[in-house]
Amino acid sequence: MADQTYPIPGTLDTTPSRGAALLEWVHSWVVTVDHKKLGILYIAYALVFLLVAGVEAMAIRIQLAIPHNHFLSAELYNEFFTMHGTTMVFLVGMTLIFGFGNYFVPLMIGARDMAFPRLNAFSFWMSAFGGLLLYFSFIGGFGLYGMGSAPDVSWWAYAPLTAKAFSPGHNTDYWALALIVMGFGTLGAAINTLATAFSMRCRGMTLLRMPLFVWLMVVASADTLIVITPLTAAQVMLIIDRYLGGHFFDTQAGGSATVWMHFFWIFGHPEVYVLILPAFGIASEVIPVFSRKAIFGYPAMVAASVGIAFVSLSVWAHHMFTIGMTSVSNAFFALSTMMVGIPTGIKIFNWVATMWGGKIRFATPMLFCTAFLFQFLCAGLTGIMLAVAPWDWQLHNSYFVIAHFHYTLTGSFVFCFFAAIYYWYPKITGRMLSETLGKWHFWLFFIGFHMTFDTMHFVGFLGMPRSSYTYEPDRGWTTLNMIISAGGLIQAVAVLILVWNIIDSFLHGPLAGNDPWDAWTLEWSTPSPPPPYNFETEPVVRSRRPLWDIKHPNDPDWKYER
Amino acid sequence: MADHLQHEQIFANAAAIQLPAPTAWPMILAFGCTLAAASLVTDAGIGLLGGVFMLAGCVGWFRQVLPKERHEEVPIVHRPVPIATSRALVEHIRLSPEHRAHLPIETYPVISGIKGGIAGGFAMIVPALIYGLVAQHSIWYPINLLGGAGVANWRNPSTADIAAFHWQGLLVAIVIHSLTCVLVGLLYGAMLPMLPRRPVLLGGILAPVLWTGILHSFMGIINPALDQRIQWGWFLVSQVTYGLTAGFVVARQERIPTAQSMPFVERLGIEAAGLIDSRPGADPAQDKERH
Repeated sequence: MADQTYPIPGTLDTTPSRGAALLEWVHSWVVTVDHKKLGILYIAYALVFLLVAGVEAMAIRIQLAIPHNHFLSAELYNEFFTMHGTTMVFLVGMTLIFGFGNYFVPLMIGARDMAFPRLNAFSFWMSAFGGLLLYFSFIGGFGLYGMGSAPDVSWWAYAPLTAKAFSPGHNTDYWALALIVMGFGTLGAAINTLATAFSMRCRGMTLLRMPLFVWLMVVASADTLIVITPLTAAQVMLIIDRYLGGHFFDTQAGGSATVWMHFFWIFGHPEVYVLILPAFGIASEVIPVFSRKAIFGYPAMVAASVGIAFVSLSVWAHHMFTIGMTSVSNAFFALSTMMVGIPTGIKIFNWVATMWGGKIRFATPMLFCTAFLFQFLCAGLTGIMLAVAPWDWQLHNSYFVIAHFHYTLTGSFVFCFFAAIYYWYPKITGRMLSETLGKWHFWLFFIGFHMTFDTMHFVGFLGMPRSSYTYEPDRGWTTLNMIISAGGLIQAVAVLILVWNIIDSFLHGPLAGNDPWDAWTLEWSTPSPPPPYNFETEPVVRSRRPLWDIKHPNDPDWKYER
Repeated sequence: MADHLQHEQIFANAAAIQLPAPTAWPMILAFGCTLAAASLVTDAGIGLLGGVFMLAGCVGWFRQVLPKERHEEVPIVHRPVPIATSRALVEHIRLSPEHRAHLPIETYPVISGIKGGIAGGFAMIVPALIYGLVAQHSIWYPINLLGGAGVANWRNPSTADIAAFHWQGLLVAIVIHSLTCVLVGLLYGAMLPMLPRRPVLLGGILAPVLWTGILHSFMGIINPALDQRIQWGWFLVSQVTYGLTAGFVVARQERIPTAQSMPFVERLGIEAAGLIDSRPGADPAQDKERH
């Protein structure tokens, strides 16, 4: 009797409900260990926080547009510029580089996944939860101004401002703890990138055949391993000072505020290179493809990248010229900083030489990379100016410094990552981004950027200190600040165009095919978006441009490469 | 090698590929770590909860990889991936063996620079003396300006002093002028083969203009008194006369191949079969003298 089956009248609908399907979709993202999905999570996370940091920046600029403005309270202003800096460096910059690294390093070296897929997931979630912990301070932080106090000690958090006496409550603790949590995520991502690049390369992919983006991710990851450690150590020391009665940074009890500066900038300055090196990698992929030429001086590019990483570890105290170091220290850090100009100069010449005589196509990725070349050069030149100690004494803590590092981080890093979004979006989604909207995005962002940050140099020359809440109308800064703020607004519009482009193209964009740019690296030899296993069969490469070899069997690169 | 090939074959024929199985444990561990950190600024209970999550995350993660790593089978979906280009035509960069910016394959012999320097030195005397006659009514004025250091007893000389004949001044001026002209001539001989397109014009005009400009900017600091007495327009005319003459004389000389373009053994002076060509007109097989 029990073995009998009975027919059910009617038919069974086996398709899951929309709610269940959505739940399943969310679940697939939460439990994923696939490098591509984690890469997308990193990038999406970074873009969300880019918008958040952008809102903070706009609020700061509205506050400074006119003198004696009270758009923000002084307290909220302090919180906003602290959170803007922290967000852009840790939640946008670091997550973007490891997002693109996660997605493309295995694809570019012909691997099926990262070396440690579960560590990869752990690293992402540590970064994500660390960011949420930081922003939870806006609700849960209890600081000098009561409940809902975000960190307000600026992104470098100099001692003794961070001591309990000057920063009561928990907002500084949120900052330190969030950075510790994110730091472990970053370390995991860096270890994974190194292990993947060194041990997962497909057959024929020697180190000197690796795409430059992979090389730059390797160098940035190695730098990350070195520099995140002192930052984490400093945060732990800060927590000990604040909770366990330590005196590392308490000058009244034999500690030293300068020690914090050293620890922070040993991390802080190489961090700029950690961010900018993968951006160099993007430029090194985009410029050759859109110039229709192989990269000029590949070995020199690799050597220069490694050189930058080494030299960048010996320049940190150029942030501290004004604390009164010895003349020998000043000279050393001035010279070591200037030395960075040599390998970076090599790179700029090589990019220009790659473009020279090429059939250049100014598609949106190339537009962003071309602007990057010019802007990075300017950023380098103002960097050399600030490396001269007496010059730095005049302009330290002025808006000139702000203009310099925004030229580096926005004019170079952000421009390159916008290029990366336009270049690799077809591979990630299988659809093309709108070129028309892309060009609107580029030109508006380019104009807005120069209105803001070119002008910021002048307001710095005129003596406007950074982190000022407001200013007197008779200082001659009013018009310049209005121009800076207007430029910021134009940039915000440009970013909104990008967001619209990303969403609209995902839904309605033309299909991309596997290789829309006629490119040469392995990620373009697999469908768009790639299947979970990346490649049906393990690729075998014989040169730095494996797809060129396939496309031009009579004229392959391996005939010429040594 | 055989293993590799077999491995590839297995992949090629497989219907599915093993990939690491999805798991939530790394996320749970990360959440636990964050809660543990947050407990410092919230509540000890949050820390306790974080500890539970961390423990669960660790145990779950270990069970994912021990004793054997969990995988999932992902079926292979065969999709055509065309790898082709519409730009099949390839243009190679044409390199001329003579396009050598740094190491010229041919240069002028050393003697040409000396000849050019001497010729230029004589030529520039003419505008200098004309200047002396026209501006100061004395040919000795420009000579004494150059050789003034040789007149030991001079202290703030007047114009009349400088315009008068002094044999020590003449002697020193001749030495300075001769040496400088020959040395600059040698420099010309070495430099001209590296200048693009019209080397004589570049070397003959641009270099003297730059040189005069540099001297003009420095002289006011080094020797303000001398600076006041030099007529820079005339000075420039003399320099350009020198440059054009020296350049012209150097450029007329026959070029010789530079050592840099020779093989290393040849630069060492080793003469051996296959290294050097036979003498013109001689049958290589019969040319025993050279081989």
